[in-house]
Amino acid sequence: MKKALYFIIITGIVILILSFCLHKDTSSYDTEIKCNACDTVEKYPLNKIFPNPKTVTIKGTDYLQSQLPVGEFGGRLITSTIGEGPKTFNPFTAKDATSSQMAGMMYDGLVTSNPVTGEVTPKLADSIKIDGNNYIIKLRHGIKWSDGKPITADDVMFTWKDIVFAGLGNTSVRDSILVDGKLPQIKKLDNYTVVFTVPKPFAPFLRQLTTPIAPKHWFTSIPDWEKSFDRILASTVKPDDIVYSGAFHLKKYVPAQRVIFERNPDYYEINLKNQKLPYLNQVVYLIVGDLNNEILKFEAKEIDTIGLRGSTVARYKAKESQSDYAIYNLGADTGTMFLAINLNNRKNEKNKPYVSPNKQKWFSDINFRTAIDYAIDRESLVTNIAQGLAVPLFTSESLNGIYLNKNIKGHKRDLNIARKYLAKSGFRLKNNILYDKYGNKVEFDLYTNAGNTERESIGVMIKQDLADLGITVNFKPIEFNTLVNKLTNSYDWDMSIMGLTGSPLEPHNGKNVWASNGTLHLFNQRPVGYQIDDRLVWEKELDNIFEQGALKLNFADRKKYYDRYQEIVYNQRPIVYLYSPTRIVAIRRKFKNVYPTTLSGILYNIEEIWIEK
Amino acid sequence: MFKQIMKDKYASAALIILVIMYLMVLFADFIAPYSKDFADRNQSYAPPSKVFVIDENGRFSRPYTYNYKREYIPELYQTVYTLDRSQKYYINLFNRGEEYKFLGVFKTSRHLFGVENSGRLYILGTDINGRDVFSRLLFGGRISLTIGFLSLFILFPIGLIYGGISGYFGGVVDMLMMRFAEAVMAIPSFYLLIILAAILPSNMTSTQRFTLIVVILALIGWSGFARVVRGMVLSIKNEEFVLAAKTIGASRLRIILKHILPQTSSYVIIAMTLSVPSYILAESGLSFLGLGIQQPDASWGNMLKEAQEYINILYRPWLLTPGFLIFIAVLSFNLIGDTIRDILDPKGQIRE
Repeated sequence: MKKALYFIIITGIVILILSFCLHKDTSSYDTEIKCNACDTVEKYPLNKIFPNPKTVTIKGTDYLQSQLPVGEFGGRLITSTIGEGPKTFNPFTAKDATSSQMAGMMYDGLVTSNPVTGEVTPKLADSIKIDGNNYIIKLRHGIKWSDGKPITADDVMFTWKDIVFAGLGNTSVRDSILVDGKLPQIKKLDNYTVVFTVPKPFAPFLRQLTTPIAPKHWFTSIPDWEKSFDRILASTVKPDDIVYSGAFHLKKYVPAQRVIFERNPDYYEINLKNQKLPYLNQVVYLIVGDLNNEILKFEAKEIDTIGLRGSTVARYKAKESQSDYAIYNLGADTGTMFLAINLNNRKNEKNKPYVSPNKQKWFSDINFRTAIDYAIDRESLVTNIAQGLAVPLFTSESLNGIYLNKNIKGHKRDLNIARKYLAKSGFRLKNNILYDKYGNKVEFDLYTNAGNTERESIGVMIKQDLADLGITVNFKPIEFNTLVNKLTNSYDWDMSIMGLTGSPLEPHNGKNVWASNGTLHLFNQRPVGYQIDDRLVWEKELDNIFEQGALKLNFADRKKYYDRYQEIVYNQRPIVYLYSPTRIVAIRRKFKNVYPTTLSGILYNIEEIWIEK
Repeated sequence: MFKQIMKDKYASAALIILVIMYLMVLFADFIAPYSKDFADRNQSYAPPSKVFVIDENGRFSRPYTYNYKREYIPELYQTVYTLDRSQKYYINLFNRGEEYKFLGVFKTSRHLFGVENSGRLYILGTDINGRDVFSRLLFGGRISLTIGFLSLFILFPIGLIYGGISGYFGGVVDMLMMRFAEAVMAIPSFYLLIILAAILPSNMTSTQRFTLIVVILALIGWSGFARVVRGMVLSIKNEEFVLAAKTIGASRLRIILKHILPQTSSYVIIAMTLSVPSYILAESGLSFLGLGIQQPDASWGNMLKEAQEYINILYRPWLLTPGFLIFIAVLSFNLIGDTIRDILDPKGQIRE
């Protein structure tokens, strides 16, 4: 009896398993590609172009007038910031992106960048006139700080002379406008006019005028303000005390949870009906731990806008037509993923070469580097690792940059060309293993930081790509700090997969990578204080370009220099660029006046965004 | 003892499962249709192959499968896999595939099963680089399932001898030795591992590196074990047979090794079986955090890491299979360990 029961149970299980395994070949297994929303997809560039606000004068006050459709007042927008939240609200001491962003909400700069073209346009300033080395800045009449005091030339003088030039707080602005060790001169002409005089024509200076302007009377009213500068507007500041000029001001900061900003009732931007902006009552930043957390919060409707990555985009796109959000594809982002090659041919203190002499010979060989470039399958990197949400990259400027050299078209993977270049330098294949002309087996290490799935997968693919040339790559993901130490300190690495964020508006910011004495001159890093001139021919030319390019003021003149620099980088390939991720953002449809752009993202005109009820 | 284990239903099932697992891992080259590095980059995140035994006309047929065709729909930002019905690939036993060395000795290219070279058979789908998850599970199991035993061989001899000496000599020796053991116990292992990950020379392969980490883990993990052994030795050393050994003039080391320590064997065996799973878990945890086995090598922990993104759990559930195997392996070891304890130490059993 018991045996019969066992028998029945076992046959039951077997039948169940078989029914799972035995598939009938029917058409039900064919996936049908459904694309309901395909025809409604909005592609970038969007058919609506953001109109820049204009200046209008009403009763002696120079307002900035938004040219966008008039909306309704009220409501709030909730967005998120990944990480620990702001460390300070002081725009001059902020060192991290989150802090600068939050400080920027409260303090406007003299100028801002046009979100579409990237040109410098007036913000707090009424107009800018460039006359040789003089920058004449006229301020708006009648605009006020939040406590009712007028914003005048004294505030500009104070900000630039007493804070920036004096080197208080974060000195990065000061460092970036030094020309031959000299700072610009600043002079007050009258209460609403200031003149900056640079010692030499220096193009990057203009964009530095985006630096926020500080309220002199409030800063100086703090006892010992210079000595306690770090404590002004620290994250523990009392929100009610703050004197600000921006569209929003800090209302409440709950560390590790959220930052609440409230509308400035007396902002100097107005809409077409002459009502004072911003429309929104509040802007809230939720502080979230990581990307997954952020996505879940967006899904739970706790946040209103989000940047999407990888396969999440497909999921959201499929749900878009039945949902309350719209997805915008802003095209290639400023981020770059690349493979750096160590060209270092120097020796350390113990007279040992950083890179073994055999490898030095390969890496310094342009044919070898070109072969590597041709062997890399960027298309597969994009489809597999970035899930199609990236663009193959061949230049050092980001693809949305205004100085991008559009003549660099790049190339497809071509092993035959790669082999030809290798043959040119005497590399030979034996039993599918590549040897150099001295008979050394071509084998080297490839590093990246462990724990980053994206970079690890890239490494696995590049290892396979180069194996097709007969090159043995030892792929070694290592701990991030160890990798940084190798790159910047001990220089004992061969190749490495890294990522950097570029600046789409100002190529001069790339100087720390491309100038031979730059702090991020990864591929041929020289120790601090290195005196010997052992620059390669093209390194010299790059040095020269970055020096000369900054001295020209005209866009077309500068472009020639920066086009040439991208050409050199592409031809010499010390850094082999792989791809640039696509920027995809989602925002709930109830928000109107949203004009996303590839340069500025989605919330740059936060004061003009309103909620449809 | 073996017979007694087989009497217990759960333990015997667990033992059979573990034996199957270890055999599969041992013959991984033969059983897996692909090597661990084989990648078809046009098949990134391909779902498991559909195997059909009833053809489109409704007749029984040899099992066959179709390849997947990948399409990217730019409007939807989506990659879609569709069956490529242009060619059927029959599944062959003892299929000719990539060449490998069977058990590291003789060269062959026969695999247990597979399809023709242009076909692709992915029983459990593929990962982001288009590598077969099933094959990598087998190769990854080699590391995940053996790493536990490696630490046992270091941890137990040290623990036994240290505990034995400390317990037998007693007094000041005991005091000093136990305080030292406590100091070792107090080292926070997780922080130690993070520091180790940073300072270990980077030219080690990930297997060497991980072996070293496990050795170090074992070197700080013996102290808890040594304390229990010392406690047991304290009671055993007053037994009559120890006195007898002393009176015939046996050396102290001989007494400890030959007379006292064998008495602790039941505890040792139990502790050993129960500590294997903790090392399997430690491996997966470390690899998950990026401190253990690194790409392109496979281990269950670093394979599971790919399933970390919640979108992968939703759309690519086959990436979770290493987690399932970890679960099964740990459960089996624990079941066997419990049964061995019941057998060797019947008094400790709780009876209702």
